[in-house]
Amino acid sequence: MSQFTTVQTSPHKPSVGSADSGGLAVNKRLRKELMTLMTSPTSGISAFPESENNLFKWLGTLTGPEGTVYAGLTFRLSLSFPSEYPYKPPVIRFETPCYHPNVALKTGDICLDILQDKWSAVYSVHTILVSLQSLLGDPNNSSPLNVEASQSWADQTAFKERVLTNYRPL
Amino acid sequence: MDLNHPLLASAVDLLPPFPSSHPQIQRLDRSLYCQICKELFSGPVSIPCGHSFCSRCIRGSLEVMKKCPSCNEPASEGSIRRNRALEEIVDSWEEARPIIHGLTSNNSRKRSIMNTGPKNAFAAESTKRPRKESTSRSVSPVKQSSDKKEEIDGDADDMIALDPYTNMAESSEDVKASCPLCDITMPIRDISRHIDLGCQPIKPRPKSQGRENLKADWKKVFSGAGLVKGKDVELKKITKPNYSLATPAELRSVLQSYNLSTFGDKPALAHRVQEWILLYNSNLDTSHPKSLGALRAKLNEAEASRRRDKEKGREEMASELKTSDGLARYAQDTKGEFERLRREIMERDKKRVGSGAEAPIEIE
Repeated sequence: MSQFTTVQTSPHKPSVGSADSGGLAVNKRLRKELMTLMTSPTSGISAFPESENNLFKWLGTLTGPEGTVYAGLTFRLSLSFPSEYPYKPPVIRFETPCYHPNVALKTGDICLDILQDKWSAVYSVHTILVSLQSLLGDPNNSSPLNVEASQSWADQTAFKERVLTNYRPL
Repeated sequence: MDLNHPLLASAVDLLPPFPSSHPQIQRLDRSLYCQICKELFSGPVSIPCGHSFCSRCIRGSLEVMKKCPSCNEPASEGSIRRNRALEEIVDSWEEARPIIHGLTSNNSRKRSIMNTGPKNAFAAESTKRPRKESTSRSVSPVKQSSDKKEEIDGDADDMIALDPYTNMAESSEDVKASCPLCDITMPIRDISRHIDLGCQPIKPRPKSQGRENLKADWKKVFSGAGLVKGKDVELKKITKPNYSLATPAELRSVLQSYNLSTFGDKPALAHRVQEWILLYNSNLDTSHPKSLGALRAKLNEAEASRRRDKEKGREEMASELKTSDGLARYAQDTKGEFERLRREIMERDKKRVGSGAEAPIEIE
């Protein structure tokens, strides 16, 4: 039994998703989150599974917060959950083109720390959507995905124009 | 988008939420939910920062990152401690919840509840969680008597039979007398041995007594598989193997020792061992441990469900590739991988060209 070590911090993990809680637990947690979103809705935020037989892919909508250049605009998002959820974050993309310093205009990829290395298992669809909503009005210009947008952020009037020319209503 | 949606209709196993007219009770209810699985704590444990989670949940999270999921303070599996007070609170809340839920959701039903008693009025509503099945609270005092010796495997009853005190009175078929020295009543045939041992309680002999049985018992003792010792070993947490160093054969032997499937390649084996250790170790952090059989079933079920999800994912991928939009996205996603393979082939060709043969491969 010499290969057994008490050190639990071994950096080498099996190549398969390491802390898989099993498909059943993921399923239950996603249903639970759906239930919470339905029973206590938050304004400007919604999310629902794409189809009845797949809980791992959701569509969400986000309304731009008041007082920002995105006010009144509604954005569609796609959420795709890994089988290791909630230990691993979901992959989220803007489906509606969103001109924003931290969003790639073409692919809709989002640069947000809690969706990458700062992810924690206590976050949920609800907390992600709230974070994204606040990201719209408060971008992180130091690590832009859309460099042009981060440079033009200073001039809000010009910025809003670009947001609107790129925007495509649902 | 209504609550009768088929996805929610299957949500009968979820506890009904409290109405917003009672924010205090909502808060109380919320505080008894694990922040990871968003369900009532099951086998709650605490970590050094003071945050509590289900044992299973935090163990899973610590495998991915060695931090508290709530406050980011460093934490490790070794620092996990059972939180018995919290467990007791959650247990009682689970019993009280349907009653209080009934009182909050419909005041007019109050009277009928008072009359019929909570048990009848809420029988339909109380969605018992599965772990309760193995625990029935009112059962024999022996099982409740100590935390350590709780039923982990089906054959734990053997142990109870050896308990000297409980069985003392049961062997009533023998004539009894009191010991002349200490006045304890016991079967006459045990008295002399009792006095020889300095007035210690005597283990009652098994009912189907005979030489065969005795022989078997002694064999057990000598083979090192003494009942008590065996149990102690089983109750210990499993130490994690070093997955990168362990050979598939070693992983298989671990799986075999717990009667688990040894099918699959090394990643699959490592994954199964890892998940089993997670299930097994967190099962030790609760006062209602499941039987090993139930744990095994859980492991198998999770594996089967994951396989189904994977197949579904593959089907979806195939159908997505049929649309031009999906195809474009797939090309975008796998561009890096494609470039890498392309570079590798170019390199390899260059080497081959260097050795003489002129054979440039055109890609694209």
